[in-house]
Parts: sequence; structure tokens; C-alpha cells
Amino acid sequence: MTDKRKAEEAGLGPWFDAGRAEAPAPSGDWLARMEAMALEEQRAPAVAVMPERESRGVRLRDLLRVLGGWPAVAGLAAACAAGVWFGAVSPATFSDWTSVATVSDSYTTFEPASGFDVAMLGY
Amino acid sequence: MPYDAMSDSSDEDLLAAYAAGEPAAARALTQRLGPKAFGVAMRMLKDRAEAEDVAQEALLRLWRAAPGWRAGEAKVSTWLYRVVSNLCIDRIRKARGGHVDLDAVAEPPDPARSAEQDLQETARGAALQAALDTLPERQKQAVILRHLEGLSNPEIAEIMDIGVRAVESLTARGRKALEGLLGARRAELGYDDD
Repeated sequence: MTDKRKAEEAGLGPWFDAGRAEAPAPSGDWLARMEAMALEEQRAPAVAVMPERESRGVRLRDLLRVLGGWPAVAGLAAACAAGVWFGAVSPATFSDWTSVATVSDSYTTFEPASGFDVAMLGY
Repeated sequence: MPYDAMSDSSDEDLLAAYAAGEPAAARALTQRLGPKAFGVAMRMLKDRAEAEDVAQEALLRLWRAAPGWRAGEAKVSTWLYRVVSNLCIDRIRKARGGHVDLDAVAEPPDPARSAEQDLQETARGAALQAALDTLPERQKQAVILRHLEGLSNPEIAEIMDIGVRAVESLTARGRKALEGLLGARRAELGYDDD
């Protein structure tokens, strides 16, 4: 016992001595069960206990891996953004792009030979 | 490593050996820490079955924490005392059916009344325990850890999650209350003859 603690105890010293001597002891049966539990836990496969925040991170990483990593996800995001933009702006903006094909144009405007003709020519 | 060779190993080394799958470490740590965990729980809860449950839960948490234990971060025994203490306080709160203001410091009980209640106690250790049981929870916890388990004030501060000065204050108030309670019983229990 340290001198400091002894000085603190002063008149209570004999009482604490008695208390330390009367320390509650566990039964042998309980200790045997605790030993069995320790060995059982030691054999069990380690279970990673992770905080909630970290486990969320794991799920995000898994998703990224499935999609092909960050570059693939960046490409996917760019494509999505372009799609949204195309959908949001007026169709008139694209009139030049789509003027080649109008509602009145028939299929043969672009494909003079029909599928049947092509088949008959033996291609 | 044989069991006997582990008696000189530190708790931290034993826990590392436990995590590495050494069965002798499991036995050595149980024999070393099991009685400590049980002893504190028993002093706090005064009920053998409850104390066994609490100590078992604390040990189970230790075994499960072993694989991720970071050496040098915390003393194994301090960690274990902390878990046991928190589990005991949880049980005491539940048993009282509600909130207990642990920071509230009660006035020391009337020594005469307590001495009268304790007349049936004949053993000195039992008289001390009976006196301890009348203290506010935090005082009792601090006094047990300091004077019966022999821990240093910084260790107790870590276990109780308070400052060292607060520990000193709690133990000082606890000792003062105990002096009042036990002083009246000195002659009865033969201390005046020592």
C-alpha cells in the first residue's frame, strides 16, 4: 500500500484492512464456467464489431466496387447528368440535330433498300 | 506458453496471447481478472447472483474486445473495472426503478441510526460493507476502488470518467462519512483494544 493511501486511511485503516481481508470471492464453479466461456470465445471466429458509421462506409465501398470503381461511377454520373439536361431543355434546341429525320420521312428516306430487298440480293 | 510461465506476464501481454489463440492465456486471465471483476461487483451490488452476471458480462466483453485491443491505449484491469462499474450502476438504477442523480452528494447518514441498524453485524469487514452501503453510489464506488481494490486516483478517474480532483473529493467525503458511521462501533468490534 502506498504511503499516501495509508495516510488517507488514518483511523479507518483497520477497517479497510478488515474489508480487504473479507474480499468477496467467486465460487470455484463460477470460475470454471468463466474459464470455459473464455476458451469458447477464443475458438469462435472473430466477429468484427464496427461502429455504425464505419459499416455504412463498407456498404458504399461494396457498391462502388460492383459498379466498377470511382472512374466508372464518374462516367455514369456524367451520362445521367447529360440525360437530365437533354430532357430538361426545349426540343427546339435540337432541331438542327434531328432535322434529317422528320415525321413525314418514310423509312426508305434513310434505307432505300428494304430488308426484303437486301434479303433477296443475298446479302 | 505453459500456464505457469504466464504468472509473470502483464495483463496486456496475456490478452495479446489470448487473441493469438493461446488457451493458457485464457485460463490465466480468467484466474487473474475473474475474482477482481466479481469482487467489485459483489461490493457494489451485495448480491452474489447479480455480481456473477455482471462479472460474466464484463469478461465476455473483454474476450470479444481482445482481437482489436490496441496495446498501450488502456490498462486491461482499468478497462475491466470501468465496464464492471458501469454495469453495476445500470443495475442499481434499474433496481431503484428510475433515474439516480449520481452527482448528487447526500449528507452523511446519522451515525447512531446506522449503528443501530448494523448491530446484527459482528464481523469488522461486514460492518465496513454495511457502512459503505449507506454511502451515495459515487462515493461508495470511489472508496471501494481506492481503499479496497487499491487503485490509484488517476486510474479511478479513468474508470469513473471524472477528474483526479473529483476522485479525491469523493473519497474524502466517503471516508468522512465512514468515520462517522464506524467510529461509534470501535469499542463494539474491539478496535479500542488494538
